[in-house]
Amino acid sequence: MNDGRGAVEQVRGAFARAIMEIGVVHGVPMLRLRTQDVPAVARYVHTDPGLRGSLSLLWVVDHRPREARHELCYLFTLAERKDWLLLSVDLTQGEREFASITPMVHAAKWYEREIRDLFGLIPVGHPDMRRLVRHEHWPKGSHPLNKDFAWDQVLERAQGEYAFRKIHGEGVFEVPVGPIHAGIIEPGHFRFSVAGEPILQLEVRHFWKHRGIEKLFEQQRLTDAVPLAERVSGDTSVGHSLAYCQAVETLLGIAVPPRARYLRSLFLELERLHNHLGDVGAICNDTAYALAHAHCGRLKEQLMQLNDRLTESRFLRGVNTVGGVAMDLSGAQLAHVDAELHTIEQEFGGIEKILFANASLTERLENTGVLSERIAWDHAVMGVVGRASGIDRDLRRDRPFAAYHECQPKVAVYRYGDVRARMRVRLDEVHDSIRLIHALRRQLPMGPVITGPVKTPEPGQWALSAVEGWRGEILYVVMAGEEGRIHRCKVRDPSFVHWPAIQWAALGNIVPDFPLINKSFNLSYAGNDL
Amino acid sequence: MFRIIKKSLATGVVTGQYPAAKAPSEPVSREAIEKAKPFRRSLTIREVDTGSCNACEMEMNALANPVYDVERFGVHIAASPRHTDALVVTGPVTVNMERALKDAYKQTPDPKLVIALGDCAINCGVFKGSYAVTGPVERHIPVDVRIAGCPPRPAEILAVLGELRKDRPNSDR
Repeated sequence: MNDGRGAVEQVRGAFARAIMEIGVVHGVPMLRLRTQDVPAVARYVHTDPGLRGSLSLLWVVDHRPREARHELCYLFTLAERKDWLLLSVDLTQGEREFASITPMVHAAKWYEREIRDLFGLIPVGHPDMRRLVRHEHWPKGSHPLNKDFAWDQVLERAQGEYAFRKIHGEGVFEVPVGPIHAGIIEPGHFRFSVAGEPILQLEVRHFWKHRGIEKLFEQQRLTDAVPLAERVSGDTSVGHSLAYCQAVETLLGIAVPPRARYLRSLFLELERLHNHLGDVGAICNDTAYALAHAHCGRLKEQLMQLNDRLTESRFLRGVNTVGGVAMDLSGAQLAHVDAELHTIEQEFGGIEKILFANASLTERLENTGVLSERIAWDHAVMGVVGRASGIDRDLRRDRPFAAYHECQPKVAVYRYGDVRARMRVRLDEVHDSIRLIHALRRQLPMGPVITGPVKTPEPGQWALSAVEGWRGEILYVVMAGEEGRIHRCKVRDPSFVHWPAIQWAALGNIVPDFPLINKSFNLSYAGNDL
Repeated sequence: MFRIIKKSLATGVVTGQYPAAKAPSEPVSREAIEKAKPFRRSLTIREVDTGSCNACEMEMNALANPVYDVERFGVHIAASPRHTDALVVTGPVTVNMERALKDAYKQTPDPKLVIALGDCAINCGVFKGSYAVTGPVERHIPVDVRIAGCPPRPAEILAVLGELRKDRPNSDR
């Protein structure tokens, strides 16, 4: 695993005084800083040409009741070799203010607003201090992730109004959309400012579905919370449960048996497949190309039924469990998977030919919803959306987990950043997933599929885990509490990063193209809102 | 064009190619069937997500694919609550969605049905008790039909919708 030691030396060379302590947590180098130095160091890590760190995660831990401090942790992914570098800082003695890094590191914008809402800590210097998660009717002083906030309390309703960013001028209109949408999709609010057809500004206002998932995790034991992780975002049940399980396994000292690692990869690819197929169809549907939608919907359904036959869940729920996988696949089942995927690959090849022979489809996709590489980089975008904008990141290759050391993916990268590129990435990944599943099956080792825990983690120990789900990088930070409970679980679905980016991709496009752009991102509202 | 026709012919009809549904855990009540009578053989649905994990939405979307093709039973998905006969609500009702749900209910013309889809809508599922969840759907609006499951399979949803409208005459009264 990459360790980023060179980067630590470089930062230490530049900021010798700012660093209070250097440590390594499960292979991730960690620099403990003085509070006032965080913006300068973050800026350096973000902009130095040798480091080019992109902010992957920013989270806070309330260490009460063991210690009276809040700890802020900034996780950067460095451009070279995709190393991780962690900066951390403590707020003690009731300090409520910390210096915002958003003016230097744009990707921190939503994280810091989230921290303000959930912990009541104030990012001083943040350009946008409006509420994010807590809608206006939440009472003052309700910060649910603080330890003195009871998880099951009933919130009172206050009065308040959210101030959307306004654009003034002759002929400028606002188009409000949502929270309840016309199609069968999740709730979220979009506020378009338009002059004629083109979008001058899009503001996304989400968190309608905030269910308090991170607080719910804290009520559970480390080994029991997999069903909750599966329900963070239903379409990514395997991705989320896998990321959670990996973090807990690091804490419990579990080495997952090889066969389980292979099966996990196999299930993760099955999930990627059915979602990508559905997305390709849905993108076509939003250009009114119903034929392709019907064919893709049919293939997706075939996969969902395959999932159901294999695991008795169309969403592959109940597969991942702490220590391995809960069910083994027999030789006959694996042969069945191979055969099904073979027919799907052939069929899909035929549909692809039909798609690209259709100029009225490709015309709609090209140059629509362009997310430039620069904006993608500024927002720390990754996953399918990033790879369509020239961001060459894939955790399966960069930080291999499960069985990806042995079965490596071919990473598809396009540069145009438009809807076409996002669809192209998906098409390529469909073929590659099928190839991977065949390869995983061929190399599948024999042996057990689950093992038990080796040790019990000390309270305060934590682990970080990353999984390349079908949308992108899913990150989990799990900290152990007393008696095998969870003290803190930070969940980061890629959607949380991509929603701010979609506001940029929509600019200059016409309103009727927004559903198409939205579909090409296909972000989770549930995974974003938590 | 030739390619498209060839593909369609090679594919054939896929509608109905799914395993039979298990019996629903809760039978559809007499009152609900009685209430659905004015809609005759058709039913227009508006889906409202009040905080689900989105698996229920995926299964609702699957109903529209060629395999289940819900429209063949006269079930349509409407874009607005004002055009709908039945609200299908998924997910526990979150603090932030409570008002939107009540609004949608008010905007739905009478007579109307409310279908709670999935375990979360029925009893909040894994999200039960959270500060951000105000309770199951029936705490806020009256529920007529419950479809359990996490999520219920499309075939199971179809079975309940069929049950709801059985013994309905083909033609007008």
